[in-house]
Amino acid sequence: MKPRFLKGIRFADLTWAGAGPFSTKIFSDFGAEIIKVESATRLDSVRTGGPFKDRKYGVNRSGYFASRNTGKKSLVLDLKSKEGQRLVFDVIRKSDVVSNNFGPGAMDRMGLSYEAVRAVKPDIIYLSMPMYGEHGPRAELLGVGMTISAVTGLMWSTGYRPDDPVGPGTHYPDHAANPYHAAFAVLAALRRKRLTGEGMKIDLSQVESTINFIGTAVTECAMTGVDRPQTGNSSVEMAPHNIFRCAGEDAWVAIAATTDAEWQALARAIGGAELADDPRFAAAHDRIAQCEELEHLVTRWTATRGADEAARTLRQVGVPAALVASSRHLIENDPQLGSRGYWQRVEHPELGNSLYASPPYRIDGERVELARPPLLGEHNREILAGLLGLEEQEIDRLEAAGVFK
Amino acid sequence: MTYSLGTYAGRLFADLGAEVIRVEPLGGLPDRRRVMPGTPSEARFAFLNASKKSVEIDFEAVAGREQFARLCRDARLVLLERGGPLYDRIGDVRASMPSAVVTAVSPYGMTGPLADGPASDLTLQAAGGIAWMSGRIEEAPLSLPFDQATMVTSIYAATVSAIALVDAEATGKGHLIDVSAQECIAHSLQNALQVWDLEQRVSVRGGEGTRDATEDIFPCRDGFIFLAAPPALGGSFRALVGYMRDLGHPSAELLLEDRWQDREWRLTREAREAFRTILTDFTTGLDRETLTREAIVRRIVLGPVSRVSEIFADEQLAHRRFFSPMPVGGREIAFPGAPYRMTPPLRSAAPAPALGEHDKEIVGEA
Repeated sequence: MKPRFLKGIRFADLTWAGAGPFSTKIFSDFGAEIIKVESATRLDSVRTGGPFKDRKYGVNRSGYFASRNTGKKSLVLDLKSKEGQRLVFDVIRKSDVVSNNFGPGAMDRMGLSYEAVRAVKPDIIYLSMPMYGEHGPRAELLGVGMTISAVTGLMWSTGYRPDDPVGPGTHYPDHAANPYHAAFAVLAALRRKRLTGEGMKIDLSQVESTINFIGTAVTECAMTGVDRPQTGNSSVEMAPHNIFRCAGEDAWVAIAATTDAEWQALARAIGGAELADDPRFAAAHDRIAQCEELEHLVTRWTATRGADEAARTLRQVGVPAALVASSRHLIENDPQLGSRGYWQRVEHPELGNSLYASPPYRIDGERVELARPPLLGEHNREILAGLLGLEEQEIDRLEAAGVFK
Repeated sequence: MTYSLGTYAGRLFADLGAEVIRVEPLGGLPDRRRVMPGTPSEARFAFLNASKKSVEIDFEAVAGREQFARLCRDARLVLLERGGPLYDRIGDVRASMPSAVVTAVSPYGMTGPLADGPASDLTLQAAGGIAWMSGRIEEAPLSLPFDQATMVTSIYAATVSAIALVDAEATGKGHLIDVSAQECIAHSLQNALQVWDLEQRVSVRGGEGTRDATEDIFPCRDGFIFLAAPPALGGSFRALVGYMRDLGHPSAELLLEDRWQDREWRLTREAREAFRTILTDFTTGLDRETLTREAIVRRIVLGPVSRVSEIFADEQLAHRRFFSPMPVGGREIAFPGAPYRMTPPLRSAAPAPALGEHDKEIVGEA
């Protein structure tokens, strides 16, 4: 399906890199018009960051950019030029939302502060998502997604053992917490605008947003005053609960016995009735206390099996288990994702027929079909003529004057 | 009626003033029944269910089913979860509420060979691909802490539900949203899917081959810092070298060697080890606070690796009055503030409800 649920909503979208564009993508996937206002001289870092089609650099060849910008339109403007400024304000006058994820003060310096924007469009919804908030002693701290993991406690807490932080292997806060908290806030603001006619300012501190994503642990720490111990893949509440090595190169299976019944089933599968009936492991607290011995028993069983076989065998008897999937496995071999039609291929002039993850749900039994991401500046003429009503000659003049860079 | 993977979705709506009612069978939904005072389960419940209301309904009795039917009459969004009430009767729910959005959250989705497959937070992180991406290459893949399968699934469920409500309110026609936790996690893997599709490389834990040598955790005098100074953030690298020079530290000259201009080499294990030695020699003499302060002034992408317990004293969060008092477990604690701020301020949080706390108000019986 190509849902048009958000048809008629327009963004002047100044977000770039990872988190910002991921939050506006959901709007274009559902039919809103997202005008990505970008610079050709200071390029969006994910346009230049890759991975690239055939490993060949090109501003329209990045798969990372593609995955964050499906269905958007690209308008290249030199916002430092007077005419570029005028044009962006003309787009804003016809938009519902202005979005950015620059650092504090950057929008002000471009003449696009909330006050300036509201002066020309009083009912605007204005989304900012600087890392640590607009003001304050650390507002100017520079960061990437992993910096947000670092300052929130997420990085410290992601580790195999105490005092040896490893952290998430991705810029994790950029890929769920921050884009979708932002999108949810904008959706709420749009609803309020429909009801009241009023706009609003949304200030998302990516650090504060991410703290909510670990809110269960933060609340626990507020109650107890102590940090949850770093326990890797194991749990303080249940055992066995870990990732175990399997036969094959870098092959692993995750297994979690979350109840006594699941432990019984697991024990029967890997050690027969003798293990299942062993009174030393009957209760969860006993299993946690003797975790090492139990994990040794599980490993002895998994190490002689492939990860898929181990996971299937255990799931069949009701034990939560899953092969630890790599990107390649997910794309090529995951029967569940395959059966649900999770992967889409979309044609693109430079990326060819490339792969996209669908939005992670089915609506009325169908997938949301994605439209391809824009080439740099692809929609300049369409937007300036169609939306702003400029004559061809005027557009030619602006181009010759270097406004489209 | 969510109790695990979907609970944070309702929380997001409730904080913005929607009336979000936990419809609980006698004795409570499973998450409530699992709460043991003084354990992580209590904090988890308090956080994920703040601002909601609770009614307790006897689904086995005719009167209970009537109460529930009345409740449904005005509901615009129904949140269901596999293993919870009515998930196996979604057809009936939709038929009785044709203009509502019904969002069904499950580990693997409503269809496919694993639709009924047993799952947990850990196994979903494995099945969705995020566990593969974290950890050290010489050790096992590493899952993320603190209920991340719940958080990721819930936030996707909340946003798509809000979008579907736009259409349902405009057309009077409801929708069924089938949210898979595995898919939500697989949707949050940075660029790993494209790295395989376009370059046939598998992004793997430790970042070898994909992450710059400077993007890592490094020890300092009183803990750890996280640094990022890859070529894409060239200013960060130059500022770092400048800082070293200003302090007269020999590491500066080592980082000016030609090899640090080579982007590809900087992705190798050799580069990582070399950088670690050079940087650690510099940072071990400095504490987190000094390094962070200098990073702000000098525009280095560097921050402290904080413990969760330390964020309560974070000066920026204090400046923004992020934490606010909330009664949990019989006393007032510092509760996490909003994930975003609105002007005018429209969002607030209230304590998670006791079982059946709103029976009288909502179904007319105490």
